[in-house]
Amino acid sequence: MENIGALAILLAFCLSIFSIVASLVGAWKQKQFLIVSAERAVICMWALVTTASGLLIYALMTGDYRLAYVAAHSNKAMPMIYKFSAWWGGQEGSLLMWNFILATYALVVVLQNRRKHRALMPYVTATMMVTQGFFLMLIAFSVPPFQVLSTGGKAIVDVGDGQGLNPLLQYWTMVIHPPILYLGYVGYIVPFAFALGSLITRQKGDEWIFTTRRWAIVTWLFQGTGILLGAGWAYSVLGWGGYWGWDPVENASFLPWLTSTAFLHSVTMQEKKGMMKVWNLVLVASTFFLCIFGTFLTRSGIVSSVHAFAQSPIGPYFVAFLAITIAITILLILSRLDYLKSESPLESVVSRESSFLFNNLILLASCFAILWGTLFPVISEAIAGEKISVDAPWFNRVNVPIGLALLFLTGVGPLLAWRRSTPDNLKRNFLWPTVAMVATIGILVAMGISHFYALLSLGLCSFVTWTIVSEFWKGTMAIMQKDALGFIPAVIALTHRNTRRYGGYIVHMGIVLMFIGFSGAAFNKDTTVEAKVGEKFPLGRYELKVTEIKTGQNENFIWQNAVIEATIDGKPFTTLTPERRIYEKSQQPVSMVAIKRQLNEDLYINFAGMGSGSQQPTIQAYVFPLVSWIWLGYWILLFGSLICLVPAKVKMQYARTEVVGVSTKHAPATK
Amino acid sequence: MRPPRNSVLFVLLAGLCLAQSSSQYVTSEIRRVGDKLACLCGACKNTVATCQMLECHYSLPARQRIAKMQKDATSDAAIVGEFVKREGKKALAEPPNEGFGVLALATPVIAVGLGLGLIGLFIRRYRKPNSVPAMSDEEVRKYQDQIDKEFSKLD
Repeated sequence: MENIGALAILLAFCLSIFSIVASLVGAWKQKQFLIVSAERAVICMWALVTTASGLLIYALMTGDYRLAYVAAHSNKAMPMIYKFSAWWGGQEGSLLMWNFILATYALVVVLQNRRKHRALMPYVTATMMVTQGFFLMLIAFSVPPFQVLSTGGKAIVDVGDGQGLNPLLQYWTMVIHPPILYLGYVGYIVPFAFALGSLITRQKGDEWIFTTRRWAIVTWLFQGTGILLGAGWAYSVLGWGGYWGWDPVENASFLPWLTSTAFLHSVTMQEKKGMMKVWNLVLVASTFFLCIFGTFLTRSGIVSSVHAFAQSPIGPYFVAFLAITIAITILLILSRLDYLKSESPLESVVSRESSFLFNNLILLASCFAILWGTLFPVISEAIAGEKISVDAPWFNRVNVPIGLALLFLTGVGPLLAWRRSTPDNLKRNFLWPTVAMVATIGILVAMGISHFYALLSLGLCSFVTWTIVSEFWKGTMAIMQKDALGFIPAVIALTHRNTRRYGGYIVHMGIVLMFIGFSGAAFNKDTTVEAKVGEKFPLGRYELKVTEIKTGQNENFIWQNAVIEATIDGKPFTTLTPERRIYEKSQQPVSMVAIKRQLNEDLYINFAGMGSGSQQPTIQAYVFPLVSWIWLGYWILLFGSLICLVPAKVKMQYARTEVVGVSTKHAPATK
Repeated sequence: MRPPRNSVLFVLLAGLCLAQSSSQYVTSEIRRVGDKLACLCGACKNTVATCQMLECHYSLPARQRIAKMQKDATSDAAIVGEFVKREGKKALAEPPNEGFGVLALATPVIAVGLGLGLIGLFIRRYRKPNSVPAMSDEEVRKYQDQIDKEFSKLD
């Protein structure tokens, strides 16, 4: 079996090389059969990668402990679902999964475009296959997943049982978090490949934008979902109570999400006004390169992280791949500057167009700051000879103001008119959102809240909410009057008329809810106590009491939990049972926190263990206000993104308009 | 629930007790200083104060050392200085405002400044002069008719 798997990977690698050569030669010599042959090679390559993936999954599920990967990441006691998720639990398997997702994307692109974009397709195929070839090379030669255990390189050894998956990864969100994140990471190759194809062939118009718009939204959504699932996992499993720790690997996943968010905004400028063409290409390319860079960061051991894979020899390959592809992309963009000229002028600084420029600036500033902070310890060591730490306080100091500026622009954008906003227009549009913001801050101050950033954040949330609601309100009222519809049907009709615009507003509303959740961090409370069984201790409005300590085991781990009763003003509120586990194979202890989730605050309890002297349970208890709003915000964001994917009822045509003149009635007086 | 069967693991579970009174080093005084120091355990990006692993091999001894120095009436700055002397600048949670550390905060600010400059250049280059010709009523009426016609086609 291992031979078939290894052979499938090797053949897939050869087919990717063939596909690159056939595509490029076919395009150069105008030989259609070569182009079609390259596309068929993609289909065969997908079949081979799928075979290899299937074989590894089979080996994990059936416990083929002759394979080093299976022995290191699976064991007999693990539930079936975690045996499956062990596919991406280690370096070799996760790279195979990366290859499988990339091959599947390539297959879908080839099948979707059998009759479309024929001039672009050879270059799209070649770009995707260059990336595929690179990743196949890694698992064919550097970190093969089908390596067998052997004694002195001769006899194959079956160790009988494996080490098992890292216990921290044996949690339900970890079953879906990595594949969803990878669907995002890998998916950015498609817009990049079309952008590059368009650049090489000097396509007229914005065909690549229209073709890849949905890809960009879907991959952005996958990436965002993956990040949120990771945050949820950190919150529920790691036991430190945070959903975001500015860990290098977390940062690596966030960087391409930021640049792709910038792209999704600035692409509107290209669609509507034919502006920012070079910029959009830079954003698409940056997103793709940041995905590769993030993979490099996670797998090379360049930065220390609890999330990173073990150090491996693949780092230099990534550096070479990035250097070559970045150089080629820059050269291509520079050689095509004449064809990327802007079609429309910017009429006013106070306009929707400008708000997109500033939105992009803020998103990229955040991206740069996070990248800089992540790499600063490495840079400082390389240049100054001394490692300087950059930890969560620095990231918060830099990113909180940037995030608030972004939130402000989320509200400002819809209030500005395309092309130009007049002072009257500004006064009318900004009045009520500003009143809402000031009123919110006033009420919060009156309630005794004095934390500056929390006040500003909640005030801005109110500002943005007002603008979004008023956008829906104005449109809905107009449709109700015009079409004699009820309120809800009118909202649906309005959204259906321009799904991207109103879906986008819903996404913004999701972001607002998330910011409400982030603001809650300013009011966190916690206590750490060694409490005797039966002894009470306070936390915020709660009184907590450990009533019992229980112990037990199953095939996979032994556990010990503390039963904790929470009361409010003497009335029973809830009973929580945080647990500590020790996994049999790895003998690694893991905390399973208990959380009582509420809309206003989460009661979060970690059972840290028994004090050695006192033999009393040590309890870390936290109150995290508003955290549930982050997860709620995600669902709204998901809903809005799905609406953006629905075709609009009214086909939007963005004519490249310009002002040809003004009526003499409104013309400014001339001397 | 199955009855316990693996006594070795239970011994291990009992053995994995927390160091005596490790929770006593989570006080507000210790946190005040610990907030300025990075946890160098390699598994988190927290400070000594916010690292939640009570038995962390770096933050627990660090907290104990802070407590000891505070007992000896050492000032906060001197405690932080002592950590830097022992571990180097990486002991600090945030880069210092001196030497190469200045670049940590300055670079993103400079980058935003450069970004604003680029936007300024873009606006200067692509902003159309604000001069459009005045049109006669007849020309305006022609455009108005065209707008009405296109609007009527919308639905």
